Amino acid sequence: MQKKDTPGLISLLPKGLTSFFEEVGDTSRFAARFLREIWFPPYEFKEVLRQSYEIGYRSLPLVGITSFIIGLVLTLQSRPTLAEFGAESWLPAMVGVSILREIGPVITALICAGKIGSSIGAEIGSMKVTEQIDAMEVSGTNPFKYIVVSRIVATTLMIPLLVIIGDAIALYGSYLAVNINDKVSLTLFFEQVFQKVEFSDLIPSVIKSVFFGFCIGLIGTYKGYHTKKGTEGVGRSANSAVVISSLLIFIIDLVAVQITSFLGLI
Amino acid sequence: MRNYNKISGEQIPLPLRDQNNDDKIIHIQKLNKSFGENHVLRGVDLKLNKGENIVVLGKSGSGKSILIKCIAGLVRYDSGSVKVLGNEIKELTSAQLDDLRVKIGFVFQSSALYDSMTVRKNLEFPLRRHQLKLNQHEILEIVESTLQDVGLLHAIDLMPSELSGGMRKRIGLARALVLNPEIVLYDEPTTGLDPITSKEITNLMLNTKKKYNTSSIIISHDMHCAKLTSDRVVVLSDGICYAEGTFDELQKSKDPIIHSFFI
Repeated sequence: MQKKDTPGLISLLPKGLTSFFEEVGDTSRFAARFLREIWFPPYEFKEVLRQSYEIGYRSLPLVGITSFIIGLVLTLQSRPTLAEFGAESWLPAMVGVSILREIGPVITALICAGKIGSSIGAEIGSMKVTEQIDAMEVSGTNPFKYIVVSRIVATTLMIPLLVIIGDAIALYGSYLAVNINDKVSLTLFFEQVFQKVEFSDLIPSVIKSVFFGFCIGLIGTYKGYHTKKGTEGVGRSANSAVVISSLLIFIIDLVAVQITSFLGLI
Repeated sequence: MRNYNKISGEQIPLPLRDQNNDDKIIHIQKLNKSFGENHVLRGVDLKLNKGENIVVLGKSGSGKSILIKCIAGLVRYDSGSVKVLGNEIKELTSAQLDDLRVKIGFVFQSSALYDSMTVRKNLEFPLRRHQLKLNQHEILEIVESTLQDVGLLHAIDLMPSELSGGMRKRIGLARALVLNPEIVLYDEPTTGLDPITSKEITNLMLNTKKKYNTSSIIISHDMHCAKLTSDRVVVLSDGICYAEGTFDELQKSKDPIIHSFFI
């Protein structure tokens, strides 16, 4: 006797929601594969180094300029409000804490999501549609290790470094902005900053930058690796890599704030 | 003819089964492959003998490319048997499959040259990645002689973006030949080329067979190429090998499906 088909719970969900959960499941499997494959040889050290150069060093000018402007603008805009309370002397400390804890990591990660996420998504996507990934496989190379693992490792290592460098440049921008109205030496400015900044401000922001980097690499490679429908799909992969990783950066940030607050680090 | 074991003095670490006793280089039986509801291959049977060139004809979407990707282990088939040099592809570990792939050259439809590498690096890539333990001098010698064979030694330091369509195909072929394979799988080698370049590539394929003593499966829509390069022609239709014979035999066929390829 033929069994009568009964609609399962999943079939009752709207199509958009089903594909959302499918996407989440596929991405999780992709991340799990990364975590499984990273420990076993062959290790693609050369490719990790090359990617670190491409991702880290080549993003430095953009991250540097943006951070400098953010530090400068934040200081100039905060000054009138603090001046109302006669608290201009708190400016270095306030800007320092804002940049190191929140603005530095998030802005740098968002810039990198745009620059690196899209480039990873588009590069791997075009490799996929032009069969370069297949060619790699017939050449005795595990394309997942060579392409995916190396890029995720590179972004996970490079984004925290870019965040730290970006923070330093933003603070320098702030120092210049303070000097538009006052005369403060560089030593005094940084003394005032570090009076209010502690390691407990820096460590959580570096840790969350590691997750930002992982997320940018993961989403970029996942979207690129699963590109379909030719060149149109390449554009779509690049675009969705940026959108999803940017969204995930805010979600990770929200979770990180909750955790640091729970641990009493704020 | 180059022999890497002689050059390096190394044996391939995981021994593959030796060449089967008969002349069958590739033996496919009842091969099935589906993508969801789309049943692409429905019991394909095919044999490739040593030193033979088979041209596979079929409509777009008939599963020709999937067939050769199953042979190279790039696509996992659902059921049936694909034996390459006596080894059942499905039963090989990834290390064994890598070892087997040293003996298989794959010429991709889009050439699939690595955009971020020069021609030299593109050709060096399989030589370095297959753990053949060749030194830099040997690698350079092999790369240069293979490029010489396809007439593009002067392009050694160019990037793929600087090459014309025909040059890309030649470099794609050179990369497939750099490991001195026993089998070459061509996926539409002349598609998208002008008639003159198409003829050049066809001649190159014939020279390759002579010089490298290869056996080939050629997926093609180009009847001129099929006529010149084929020892046998197989027509793939509705997921099965619909007809098989020499080019002239099939050309004379009155069957409407076979005839449609020769109009």
